[in-house]
Amino acid sequence: MLKNYITIALRNILKNRLYAFINIIGLAIGLTVYVFGSVLVDYEKNHDQYFANTDRIYTINSIFSPAANIGIKRADTTYAAFGEFLKTGMPQLEATARIKRQEFLVTIGDDDYYQEIRFTDPDFTKIFDLDYIVGDASALDDPSSVIFTRSAAEKFFGDANAVNDAIGRTILLDHQNSLTVAAVVEDLPANTHFNSSVLGEDDMTVLAPMSALKQLIDYDPALDWGNISLGNRMYLLAPANHVVAELETSLAVTYEQHFPEDQKEFIIEVKLEPLTQANTAFWDGIGLPVIDSISILAVLVLVVACVNYTNLATAQNMGRAREVGLRRTLGAGRRQLLIQFLTESLIVALIALLIALVLLEWIIPFFNQSLGKVVALDHLAILPWLALTTVAVGLISGGYPAYLITRTTPIDSLKDGNSGGARKSLVRAIMIGLQFVIAIFMLAMVMVMYFQNQKVKQTIDLFPTDQILVLERLDVDEIAQQTETLRNELIRLPNVENVSFMSQVPFEQNNSSFEANINPGDEAAGFSMNRLAIDYEFLSTLDVALIAGRNVSREIALDGPVEGAEQTNVLVNELAAEKLGFASPETAIGQSFYQIGDDSSRQLTIVGVVENQNILGFHNNVKPFTFNVQSGQRVGTVRFTPIGVQQTLQDIEAVWDRVIPNYPMQSKFLDETFEDVYTIYRSINIALAAFAVLALSLALIGLFGLAAFMAEQRTKEIGIRKIMGASVPQVVRLLIWQFSKPVLWALLVALPLAYFSMNLYLNFFSDRIGLPAGIIMIAGMIGVIAAWGIVAMHAAAVARANPINALRYE
Amino acid sequence: MLKLHNLSKYYRTDEVETVALDNVNIEIESGEFVAIMGPSGCGKSTLLNIVGMLDSPSEGDYIFMGENVAGYPESKLSNIRKQNIGFIFQSFNLIDELTVEENIELALLYHNIPASERRERVAKVMDKVGIAHRAKHMPSQLSGGQQQRVAVARAVVGDQAMILADEPTGNLDSAHGQEVMEMLQSLNAEGTTIVMVTHSPAHADYARRTINLFDGHVVTEDLRAAV
Repeated sequence: MLKNYITIALRNILKNRLYAFINIIGLAIGLTVYVFGSVLVDYEKNHDQYFANTDRIYTINSIFSPAANIGIKRADTTYAAFGEFLKTGMPQLEATARIKRQEFLVTIGDDDYYQEIRFTDPDFTKIFDLDYIVGDASALDDPSSVIFTRSAAEKFFGDANAVNDAIGRTILLDHQNSLTVAAVVEDLPANTHFNSSVLGEDDMTVLAPMSALKQLIDYDPALDWGNISLGNRMYLLAPANHVVAELETSLAVTYEQHFPEDQKEFIIEVKLEPLTQANTAFWDGIGLPVIDSISILAVLVLVVACVNYTNLATAQNMGRAREVGLRRTLGAGRRQLLIQFLTESLIVALIALLIALVLLEWIIPFFNQSLGKVVALDHLAILPWLALTTVAVGLISGGYPAYLITRTTPIDSLKDGNSGGARKSLVRAIMIGLQFVIAIFMLAMVMVMYFQNQKVKQTIDLFPTDQILVLERLDVDEIAQQTETLRNELIRLPNVENVSFMSQVPFEQNNSSFEANINPGDEAAGFSMNRLAIDYEFLSTLDVALIAGRNVSREIALDGPVEGAEQTNVLVNELAAEKLGFASPETAIGQSFYQIGDDSSRQLTIVGVVENQNILGFHNNVKPFTFNVQSGQRVGTVRFTPIGVQQTLQDIEAVWDRVIPNYPMQSKFLDETFEDVYTIYRSINIALAAFAVLALSLALIGLFGLAAFMAEQRTKEIGIRKIMGASVPQVVRLLIWQFSKPVLWALLVALPLAYFSMNLYLNFFSDRIGLPAGIIMIAGMIGVIAAWGIVAMHAAAVARANPINALRYE
Repeated sequence: MLKLHNLSKYYRTDEVETVALDNVNIEIESGEFVAIMGPSGCGKSTLLNIVGMLDSPSEGDYIFMGENVAGYPESKLSNIRKQNIGFIFQSFNLIDELTVEENIELALLYHNIPASERRERVAKVMDKVGIAHRAKHMPSQLSGGQQQRVAVARAVVGDQAMILADEPTGNLDSAHGQEVMEMLQSLNAEGTTIVMVTHSPAHADYARRTINLFDGHVVTEDLRAAV
């Protein structure tokens, strides 16, 4: 019997090739997207299985006060100094370790490399069971030791053999301090958060003891209540049978007891986060549910594909009413007929799954290669889930048509042939509508996101971005001492217009701030003021306009850094002046406010007010800024005339090498700094666009199939209408209208839905696009016009056919 | 009214060429009632389709109201057709989803006639064929004779000068068949030209002239006096 069912199913598929093709391709695409989305989400959410202790490892996250105004909601770490209190505050922990990433110039023999090193506490090796090729877990106990991964050892020491005799070899950091290789470990897999592809962080290749930083850059983590840098995580190893709630409680108590009071206003809570979530913490941090969205979108695409199938199968089965009537007359029970029709949909689903698997075999390696991931399709592991999905898809999409066709009585189905029922179906209209709700919704979101991103992209124009070369890593003593010489040499180059040193360049997502107060006695008047350390050429180099007062000047001592001075002259932006309570920029000139410190306050006198430039760019608000002159800056900007750029770059590098021969120049264009961040927005948009295009294509493919089928069903009617004098456009319009109603209804649902959902994305930005409703309307129109186009394509051919052929064999 | 001159129609497949009409010469005057008879496959329907401009001849001329339409494109033919020709089919060819009223209105729908006038004309013609009491019914609720009356109404509602009827009584019992024939006769009496394909000699007798076709040729033309 089953064989008979399968034979009939296969014959039917072969007989109606066009519809079978549309069905199978639609389901295959839906399944591909769904399986891929699920595997990808599973991959991103299940990093770090490589480590034996994964289930016991936690990180500490900081939750920022909504008033903090720093553009993110949470960070995947907290202040290093807090780590000092964990051992006593949470005695149940087996180990804790912090990370601080710091870049150094590494010298090995005659070669120099800029290399990011992860400095960590010795317990790091207890928490993470690294795979030691040489050396062992005690490697970090000695403050002058260093652990290399295999690929780092090969890179620095030349060849594969170097790994085995790497121990004892030394590397020199910033020409000052040497570290000795104590162990070499295997590279960590790409699916650990250390090498996460979510953020463009460097892979973990070199590990060194935190204590080494004391000597290197005079850094003491115990005193660091000032820096939170994403990715510098703090790890905890909990005992085997720990209770999460207890850990959370003791962490909360430790926070209460040891977090400085003024910091509690900024970081309102610290939270435990399982290590497995470290990889996706970035998205939580910025408040965009990207990973969850992928899950939802993948399911939606599958839904569209299933609805496609249901729709087309319903229509098609109506054409088989006669066959069903005959079978029932010959004694087939309803159950047998149901099985017959469900067998058919299951076979279609199975074929679709096989095609999907083939597609995935091709897509996943390509995806891995282009995004540096190691997503794998573990066929055996996902087999039960795949089988279940396929059966569910087959039953759900085939269920309704099978139910419908077997519901009618044999007499009805014999008599009625292929009339009425096939055409008029509320359920079908609802299903077409549902598909287009999903497709138009996604399309609208993509477009809103696209236009918002275009707006974000415009922040690149806030500064002369394409004319600026950023010199990085200048805060090394030996370089800092030479910056004045460097400036004087660079400015003499023919195409260099200006040189300025500062603490951060525009678009870098750093928030350096202090508490500012015009009246130190009144605590309520205090607010968080962003700070940017600049030099005298800052305004002219970055085209920041002065509104009132004067620029800082070398001629005036108090404008610059003066050892021991209690008062300094500064520039502020308009917003800062306003927040300090000045009625206009002019009235702020000559007035003072205070930088509130732990035990002393510094008096800052405003000598100039500049326009509100959005230094951080992108999604950020304009923030109150104070600009003060300092020496020993972290970055430099060289503004050049955009002609002969190649030559200018060579000249700049030549000057650098002459002035600072010990350190290779490290530079990038300001465009690239912008691009590093912008790529995140663009990637989200592209990913969503891919989903939307698939959903819309599926809906259109389905509509095409349905339109073709319906037109076939209406051949006689079309023939009559043509004989009555209907023209081709009139017939086309008739056929189009049949499908327009559900699509237009879909608009009514999808557009408001999109309007509310897009706020999820738009709320993230301070400067939002106007008229999102207009954009959404355009998305709706695209959906409708595409639907019309696809129906018209087929309708035109039908309408052009000679009416006589339609009526001849009546 | 119309004149076919040396008109031929071939159907070609890859291997065979079938001659459906071979060198046919027919002239039909305005106001005539012509029956076309002949065995199955003799070309009756092909002839009717060409006369009705649903099909084009392979060779020869077709002069309709002084115009040679033989080489006209479909859009032009369609225009002439909807102004002048009404059709009645053996299988009625009503649209199942439309009511009696709407089916008749269909013939006016593509003529740029205002809705009020359409309603008026439909009502009038329904009275004429005696189907007014069934105006809101669907075709499936009517008997065959009633359905054919609706089809006749649809054929004449546009004041077409000529009606082409392809075995209009073929699906009807004799009483209903006679009813339809009488209706056609009275239309003819009012001046409508009627060309009818039929198998029934009795029904052919309603016509003034019978054209007998055989294997694509006109064999005989019988003229009879008005009944």
